[in-house]
Amino acid sequence: MTDDPPKILILGASCRLALDLIPQLFEHEFRPIFTFRTPKGEERILAKLAQCSGKKAELIKLDLHDPATLANLGAVLKEPPTHLADFAQGDYESLVAGADEDTVLEYFNANISCRAALLKRVARAMLTRRRGRLVFISSAAAAKPSPGQGFYAAAKLACEALYRNLGLEMAAKGITTAIVRPGYVDVGRGRRFLEKEKQTAKKLRQVGRIIEAGNVTAALLFLLLQGGPGVNGTILTLDGGMGLEK
Amino acid sequence: MQEIYASIVEILGEILDLDPTAIRPESYVMRDLGAESIDLMELAVSINERFAIEVDEEAIFLKSLRPAIETGRCGGGDPAAAVAEKYVFLESPRIDAMLADLTEGPVLQVQDLVRYVRYHTPPEGSHAG
Repeated sequence: MTDDPPKILILGASCRLALDLIPQLFEHEFRPIFTFRTPKGEERILAKLAQCSGKKAELIKLDLHDPATLANLGAVLKEPPTHLADFAQGDYESLVAGADEDTVLEYFNANISCRAALLKRVARAMLTRRRGRLVFISSAAAAKPSPGQGFYAAAKLACEALYRNLGLEMAAKGITTAIVRPGYVDVGRGRRFLEKEKQTAKKLRQVGRIIEAGNVTAALLFLLLQGGPGVNGTILTLDGGMGLEK
Repeated sequence: MQEIYASIVEILGEILDLDPTAIRPESYVMRDLGAESIDLMELAVSINERFAIEVDEEAIFLKSLRPAIETGRCGGGDPAAAVAEKYVFLESPRIDAMLADLTEGPVLQVQDLVRYVRYHTPPEGSHAG
């Protein structure tokens, strides 16, 4: 096994949680590769890197809605990453009985099928070195969705199953997986919801159901660095106990 | 061919944690050496990396051998010809041996892997560019 710093592929690196993780990746001497979907996403990553004392990282365009962009991983996978953290997720909020069928098809193609193709490429690359740790950032909504979150929850659950099976199938080859289900996190889409639903936010805060981004990144780092191989295919829920309620 | 065989034996030894001297060209990859699905996937990935060839897992591992035989038998046809058409890297004597061996389990042998790699490896000096 090489002494080179571990190489980590961060999918969907422009989301707030991923951006918060970036400085800690450098502290732990990872060599990160970040993927982005849009020019704005690329700018957010570059802005965060600028705050990290001139640290450099490779940025790659990867859009799950455009399977052709999977080819951009080719050069990256020639020297396989040892770690992967998957934050990539699109939004589609709609009542199940009111959904646009074309949008549903596109949403599942991107978030499930294209992700499966991506995982195949990454896992096979990791197999050449018999080493890999993959962590999927899911959501507490996978287990306890709100109305309108049916498609989001379905996509998260499907991807959880892919990650769990990957860990099941490839543990003997040194490749393991873990899943994190954050609840209401006070960043990104979570913050937007909390700012919009102030009364709900107040109640959630009173009972300790608002999760700090730092809690999530700490959990991610634990799973990436110390969780394997014992913690494999496991789901770690960070929701302040919300999922326990009837 | 000998170099290809030696490399494949080395790869199999690493993947299956076997003494390479225990592997012969006629060793059955699944029946004798104990390879499972995940091992075959790793084998395909390793062959791709070692020989710089695209590996069609369906072809190299003869995944559709039995359906090809059935197709060949339909209407009184020739199963050997059907297999030869589907798996162009196999030679007739080997195909005949496979057809006689089907009842014992997966027929894939180490020599079949060697033949696949040999078939798909360009001759020296013929690379483009």
